[in-house]
Amino acid sequence: MSIKLGSSELAKYPFLQEASDYIQETKFGFDEFDRPEMIHIINRAAEKLENELKGKVYSNLDEYEIEIMTFLVSLLLIKSIGLEEVSKKCSLFEAMRVEKFLSSDLSNERSSQKKRLLVEKIFQELFNINIDFDSKSSICKLSVPDYLHRASRMHEQEWKLINRSVKNGFVYLDIDEAVRLVRNELSNLIYTRIKNMKVYDVPISIKLKADELRKKYAGHYVHRNQFKILDYPPCIKHAMEAINKGENLPHSARFMLATYMLAIGKTEENVIEIFKNSPDYNEKITRYQVEHLAGKKGSHIKYSVPSCDRLKSEDLCYAVRECENLINPIQFGRRKIT
Amino acid sequence: MNQIENTNENNKFLTEVFRKYYFENKYFPYLYSIEKREFGYRRFDSMVVRHLSFKNIGELVAELVRNVPLDVYYSNAYYGFPSNPINEKQWEGADLIFDIDLKDLDIPCFQDHTYYVCNLCGFVNSEHKLCVNCDRGKTSDISLPCKRCFTAIKKEAGKLHEFLRSDLGIQDKFIEIFFSGNAGFHFHVNDPSIRILDSNSRANVTDYIIGNGFMCESIGVRKYGNGFLIKLPKSGIMTGWRKKISSSLGINQKSELKLRHIVETNGGYDGFRNEINRIAKKFGVQIDSQVTNDIHRVFRLPDSINGKSGLTKMKCDDLESFNPNNDACLLSDSEVCINLKTKLKINLKNCNFKLENTIEKVPSYVAAYLICKGLATISKNQ
Repeated sequence: MSIKLGSSELAKYPFLQEASDYIQETKFGFDEFDRPEMIHIINRAAEKLENELKGKVYSNLDEYEIEIMTFLVSLLLIKSIGLEEVSKKCSLFEAMRVEKFLSSDLSNERSSQKKRLLVEKIFQELFNINIDFDSKSSICKLSVPDYLHRASRMHEQEWKLINRSVKNGFVYLDIDEAVRLVRNELSNLIYTRIKNMKVYDVPISIKLKADELRKKYAGHYVHRNQFKILDYPPCIKHAMEAINKGENLPHSARFMLATYMLAIGKTEENVIEIFKNSPDYNEKITRYQVEHLAGKKGSHIKYSVPSCDRLKSEDLCYAVRECENLINPIQFGRRKIT
Repeated sequence: MNQIENTNENNKFLTEVFRKYYFENKYFPYLYSIEKREFGYRRFDSMVVRHLSFKNIGELVAELVRNVPLDVYYSNAYYGFPSNPINEKQWEGADLIFDIDLKDLDIPCFQDHTYYVCNLCGFVNSEHKLCVNCDRGKTSDISLPCKRCFTAIKKEAGKLHEFLRSDLGIQDKFIEIFFSGNAGFHFHVNDPSIRILDSNSRANVTDYIIGNGFMCESIGVRKYGNGFLIKLPKSGIMTGWRKKISSSLGINQKSELKLRHIVETNGGYDGFRNEINRIAKKFGVQIDSQVTNDIHRVFRLPDSINGKSGLTKMKCDDLESFNPNNDACLLSDSEVCINLKTKLKINLKNCNFKLENTIEKVPSYVAAYLICKGLATISKNQ
């Protein structure tokens, strides 16, 4: 007996292929959003979006037709608003909404076939992860490389492989952990869909709502990323002290120091100056390397400051109490410019 | 930097014995996908040549016989265009390589057979880190690893092998172990599913192997206000590092009370965390994390000669029986005279050499070993 996803699943997971198929089957045209009876869908999508921008997961769940349409209108609204921060935040909160439903379905659904189907649709078809789900113990098993591809982007210590249940090349996760593991990917999937949408004719009613939301939220994001640094983190201080004493820093410490200084806005000249005390200082080589890290030579990629996690494993971390919960030295001692 | 005293006689001698080796050992059976690798080499004048590529082993051997490098390297990475500049090589994946080095292990006898060779005048002494001859030069530590050193490093290599097989589930056919040719072991993992791991994922693996970052929460001990609480994880504590730690503490999935007692005995959450870190250090393997995390690095080519010793980077099928100073010593036996800079005893090719005179007549493999270490030079009077 074959089993299919039901309407309640389509309502919760409107990004699945089956939901797109539904839209196509109904031959629904975009211009139909301008019909008066569709205004409640547009308002619902706007309400959901505002919830997300306030940092709340929108948990209301309606009939699947309404949910699929609301999802579609949300994407159109986000695309029309055209603010990168809005796209990113809404994608993340949409993913968190899915995470909530999926965790609950995999824990509470009685039919083990249905559970397996959900795992297959979301983990295997969408993200190409071969996951073995034991519906009795509710434990998921996936290969170490599949785990690492996802978990290495997560900063919390608990996601490090060493803190996982690992055996014979597999990582064992409970349902909540397995679902959390794909949250970022789901968020990226939604973000990419928004980014790749080619909408030439946005229905007037959606466009008007988008204009209204843009006016309301655009100001929130203008100065958001401007900070000043009040103090250097201990890893940087330690490297600076060593270099001032004329000690030979290892390559990894030089990389950390240079990328950090560039990231906080020092010029290449300032950074080169710092390295003048190195016992093996060579201006030509230092200049090339600093300019390379700044993205002005070679690959033209600006290098990021290594994460705290990376610095710990390279023995470059000298954490103090203020370092707690930081994921990158760049976050240390910075204050928002108001 | 190499320690070879830069004289015409030394360079001529080493060039001849190295060339003979490459001419006679032109197979390189552990070099896979040669057309996708970047090659590089260090010349006798210490200059490094990089971004080379070869279509086949024949081309590589021709280059080695023609130019006779001191050291030969190849990339762990597979590239679409290996000879292009780094940003245009088109990275397609990289073998996962681990490096265990004697100098990172705290071996008590290591200092007993370490010599300090002056980087300026080449003078050798076994006591002072600053040159006592020219008074100006900094020295390099040169060690002649003994049997005890190799036993210790093989034990560490065995631990790594077990991590790779039992925890990470890597099949033996994808793991190749090499003696580095000097004082370490390299593990090459060429499992296709591992090749595509990025640097962050590899850092996650190295922390796993070293034992960095284990949290008390992973075996169910959580901080709660000024105290702690016990809540064992649903996914269990009897696999991976959780098992290593819990077995060491003598607990299992049902030992909540015992675990509580252990935490209390250690003075609460913080004391227990220190105890966990101590255990993790004991079970972890001393690998060089930067080597493993790098996806664009060049490594010594298997079956090439190590310019720091004249020994070969040699495949090691059985760690226990492998004897580096015998199994990796492949240079010729013909005798030459050397000027010794210090008295010493060594064992190579299962022969003991007690060298006490300023001028000694020794087989070429002994001469090459000591010249590469900076402890001898070729005598002008042969």
